[in-house]
Amino acid sequence: MSNAINDDEQDEQTAAGGVEIATDSVTTSGESEEEVREEWIDYRFDGEAKLSVSDLDVWYGDDHALKSVSMDIPENSVTALIGPSGCGKSTFLRCLNRMNDRIKAARIDGSVELEGTEIYDANANLVELRKRVGMVFQSPNPFPKSIRDNISYGPRKHGDIEKGLLARLFGRDDTEAEDELVEQSLKQAAIWDEVSDRLDDNALGLSGGQQQRLCIARCLAVDPEVILMDEPASALDPIATSKIEDLVETLSEEYTVVIVTHNMQQAARISDQTAVFLTGGELVEFDDTDKIFENPESQRVEDYITGKFG
Amino acid sequence: MSEAYVTDDSLVTADSSGYDRALDGTIALGIVGFVLGLVTLIDLVSLSSSGAALAETLATLLVVVAGGVGTVALSSWANVTPVDSQRIRGVTAGVLLALLGLTLAAYAVPVTLATLLGGLLLVEAMVIATAGVVSNIGLVDTEPNATAGLLAGFAFGAFGLLLGAVLGGTVLGSGGFLWAIVALIAGIGLFALAIVPREDLGSTLPAAVVVGALGATIATATIGVGWQWNPDAISGGFTGGAVIPVFLLFGTLIAAWSAAKCRAGFGARGRQYGAFLVINLNAVLMVSIMAAIVVFVTIKGVGYSVRGSTIGALAGLVLLSPLVVLAVRTARTPAGSEEWRGGARQLFRLLPLAVVGSVTALLVSVLVTGEKLEYGYTYTVLENRESVVLDTSVAITPETTVGSLVLVLPTLLLFVYFFRQYGSLRDVGTELDRVEAVRRRLPLAIAAIAVLTGALAILGASPAGLPLGPVAGVVVVGAGSVAAVGLAALPLAGLLAGDEALPERAVDRARLFTLSVFGGLSLLAAVLVLQGPATVAPAVFGRGIVPLAALLGALVSATTATILVTATRAADETITRRLLGEELSLALAATAGYLALLGSHVALTKQNFSLGVSVANAGSLSVPMAMQPYIPLGAEPGGIFPAIVGTVWLVIGATTFAVPLGVGAAVFLTEYAEQGRLTEVVEVATNALWSTPSIVFGLFGATFLIPRIGGDESLLAGMLVLGFMLLPLVLITSREAIKAVPDEYRDASAALGVSQWETIRSVVLPASMPGVITGVILGVGRIAGETAPLILVLGSTLNSTSAVEVLNGFRFTTAPPFIANEALLSASASLPTQVWAVIAAGVSGSPSMGWATAFILLAVVLTFYAVGITARTYFRKKLNYE
Repeated sequence: MSNAINDDEQDEQTAAGGVEIATDSVTTSGESEEEVREEWIDYRFDGEAKLSVSDLDVWYGDDHALKSVSMDIPENSVTALIGPSGCGKSTFLRCLNRMNDRIKAARIDGSVELEGTEIYDANANLVELRKRVGMVFQSPNPFPKSIRDNISYGPRKHGDIEKGLLARLFGRDDTEAEDELVEQSLKQAAIWDEVSDRLDDNALGLSGGQQQRLCIARCLAVDPEVILMDEPASALDPIATSKIEDLVETLSEEYTVVIVTHNMQQAARISDQTAVFLTGGELVEFDDTDKIFENPESQRVEDYITGKFG
Repeated sequence: MSEAYVTDDSLVTADSSGYDRALDGTIALGIVGFVLGLVTLIDLVSLSSSGAALAETLATLLVVVAGGVGTVALSSWANVTPVDSQRIRGVTAGVLLALLGLTLAAYAVPVTLATLLGGLLLVEAMVIATAGVVSNIGLVDTEPNATAGLLAGFAFGAFGLLLGAVLGGTVLGSGGFLWAIVALIAGIGLFALAIVPREDLGSTLPAAVVVGALGATIATATIGVGWQWNPDAISGGFTGGAVIPVFLLFGTLIAAWSAAKCRAGFGARGRQYGAFLVINLNAVLMVSIMAAIVVFVTIKGVGYSVRGSTIGALAGLVLLSPLVVLAVRTARTPAGSEEWRGGARQLFRLLPLAVVGSVTALLVSVLVTGEKLEYGYTYTVLENRESVVLDTSVAITPETTVGSLVLVLPTLLLFVYFFRQYGSLRDVGTELDRVEAVRRRLPLAIAAIAVLTGALAILGASPAGLPLGPVAGVVVVGAGSVAAVGLAALPLAGLLAGDEALPERAVDRARLFTLSVFGGLSLLAAVLVLQGPATVAPAVFGRGIVPLAALLGALVSATTATILVTATRAADETITRRLLGEELSLALAATAGYLALLGSHVALTKQNFSLGVSVANAGSLSVPMAMQPYIPLGAEPGGIFPAIVGTVWLVIGATTFAVPLGVGAAVFLTEYAEQGRLTEVVEVATNALWSTPSIVFGLFGATFLIPRIGGDESLLAGMLVLGFMLLPLVLITSREAIKAVPDEYRDASAALGVSQWETIRSVVLPASMPGVITGVILGVGRIAGETAPLILVLGSTLNSTSAVEVLNGFRFTTAPPFIANEALLSASASLPTQVWAVIAAGVSGSPSMGWATAFILLAVVLTFYAVGITARTYFRKKLNYE
């Protein structure tokens, strides 16, 4: 038991050292880009790619969890990742903000670029990366602190908000800025009306759906560009789920959202494009959501979507 | 506990019959008998006392209970802690009546307590037998089952066997087999009596027989106080003093059970109520047994350790005030559900308030009558190997003096408490232009006073011969004090003026409250501090201006609080009541704050203050055993103050050494280190270290540490050795606590881009705090009482005549090591070594002094426990949603 817990708690530094950076596959010039793209799933979209993944492989020990995945994720849209359990979609998601570094047994090979910058670069700034690529987890995980402290936790740790006795002594007090940030984030996450009169209560006193929206607000408070969501509604009831879904649609106006889900109706409802992973860690098809659900290229995807397989 | 079948209202309703009332009384009588059984079992009251002396004891008990019940009733009336349960009301009234009856009986009939209690059992037996018969012939409406059941049958059969054996053996002699026949007849008889008739007879008649037999045995003195039975088979024997209380406990338990069954009309409800009562009384019994060790040490030691103690009644009231607040808070704890609200749990929440109320009543009665309440007793000391009996007493004196520290500490505590209760009154009430002007200027005035204070402190009171301090000081202190009183009076004026209803007026003037409390208190505090550097203490009519202002402020704020309570009762809107609650917290905080300032003034200037009541630097509280050092050749045996100081310093030193180190190691091992051979070895090593005998630690300290620090037995060596002992436990518990913090928190923090160390500091450690504190509490409990290593490293300094002065011992030098402390390097006394030396080794002093030391050691350890548990509760509350 103790080992299982501690496996996840290794030092960031040692883990980073354990990651093998496959510099050979990093796209550096125009011609090699063409070469790589030929193997990619053929999906074209207008505008810039926010995240560009090429030849990403992940091993957990001897288990090849993700096999040479390449895809471009467009900006300001919702990208859904669907597939049966154990197909590697969560693993893929966790590669996008290097949360897999925290798993000691994980070995990652390949390239992920955030607006053209390699995030698996040896000199990559993890703090900066995770500020730009936020994450919402499967089960709501607010800190055992007040609602206000939960929201302002990130900005305070990054030095964007300073308050308290010492800060005041040095002439800086961001109490009002904090209040504004808290209000803005909670409003963005559509939970302000429900909690505005109890910001100093413990966040664990909220209902599950409220906690999840609070976690989204906490993620928004550090002003990310990309939001990764790992089955954010799987632990919630239908009403809370529909609230989260509405929220995701609103967020996609300003943020790039990548969402893992088990629920195909949900993917069809909220996403702009859908990637289908199937057993063995392969990305089988990636296209506009309508196309995937109405007229998929691959027979396996059609079987999965119509429920014949999975 | 489920009480689904027994609702409170159905048990005592307005139209309860005489039958119901009689049974309520019987249950109450049973409870009183049970408590008296416990009291006599631990020898608090002698079973052989009789007449006026007994009546007085019982009357004291009556007063105490009445005070408690009265306080609860009052707070119920005031809606502070509403008691809805009819059952509690009924049985409580019954308890009062039962005690009153016993007291009167003791006055009227000159019999011993034992006989009286025997009579009590007989009465109980008669009532339950009558109740059973009345129910059986159909005079009252009950729902009995066909039989009381096999379980009851076997239980009563067993009681019968036992009783028959004992009584038969006593009357017929234990030779032969006649007693065995008696026992068998009694057993079978009771078994049959329980299961054959209908339930109403089956669960009352056998109970009546058992209780009656026990009562008759005690009442007729067949087993009297002097009774003794020494069976040949075992060494030692049984005495009446031990058997009678046990009989009483047993008898009252059965009687209360049976009466409760009758009361609820038998059947399912009857079983429910009966079981409920027995389980509760049993719980009381269990707790009593567990407390027996503590009680034993207390009985052995308390007489000696509080000898000659006195406390002024007013000082007592002041010390009691935080407890009053705590008790009210306990009583107000929100009930989880309706079922929770009613019933016995409510009683347990109210009990502290009742107890505090009783003590308050006692103290006030001393103050009002002006008569010293004194309890005289004797204690034994050993002089020249002979026991000498000395007279002494503890007393509550009608003194109206309060020690300055006795005043400052509780009031400061209360101020902090009420201030924390207070939320915010921002944007409430009408804005008044003139008030706003004052609000804006006040910080400037206080800052100016602070600057003046600083300047005078640096330049001296009279820089360059100019009497700046005295002149400016008198003016500023005078003006500041007057202004503070004015500020304190503002809300009172606001409450009294105007023509709306009181609650609306109070809410409307909310802005006056915040200005008054924060402005007034800080202004007065500022001038209080200014007095020192300015070397002034202006006075009018022979009394200092500042304390006068503080007293006035406290009185005015208390008046405001009282008016606010009235307003709260009159308010009917929730929001108004909430705002009034905020104002009340503020007014109470102000009262406490002003009193704290009054006390601080006396403590700082060393000038006593007296106006009706007085605040002085000495004299309101005296416990010679705890507050005096040993007096070698004095007439009085003196005290063990140096040993208390030694133990407190040892614990503080060991924890400051071990806790940061232990928690730091735990963080490293759980959060940073690779899980592998190294961490396994460390784990095994810490567990082994924790189970290492303490004498081994002592030997290590004596042969390794001492030669390296100071070369002689010393306090520092003691601290380090105890710290080494504490370390493994802190490490183990902290590791477990940190491991138990869910990984989701770490993930969430990491996903926000927060570094690992920051995550540990702001999420992991706070979340594991309760577990870490639990470890420290357990560890402190162990090391505070540790004796063996201290004998080796601390020096078993006995009967010390002076305490170590650690705080005053620090000396700063210009050469390395720059800081030195002689006191840390010298030997010290400590409580456990003192107990060991006096009792086990018989070195010097009387054994009774050893017991008293043990008692004080227990008290010190329990105090550390209390602090730790408070801290843990605080962190738990912060972490968990409640």
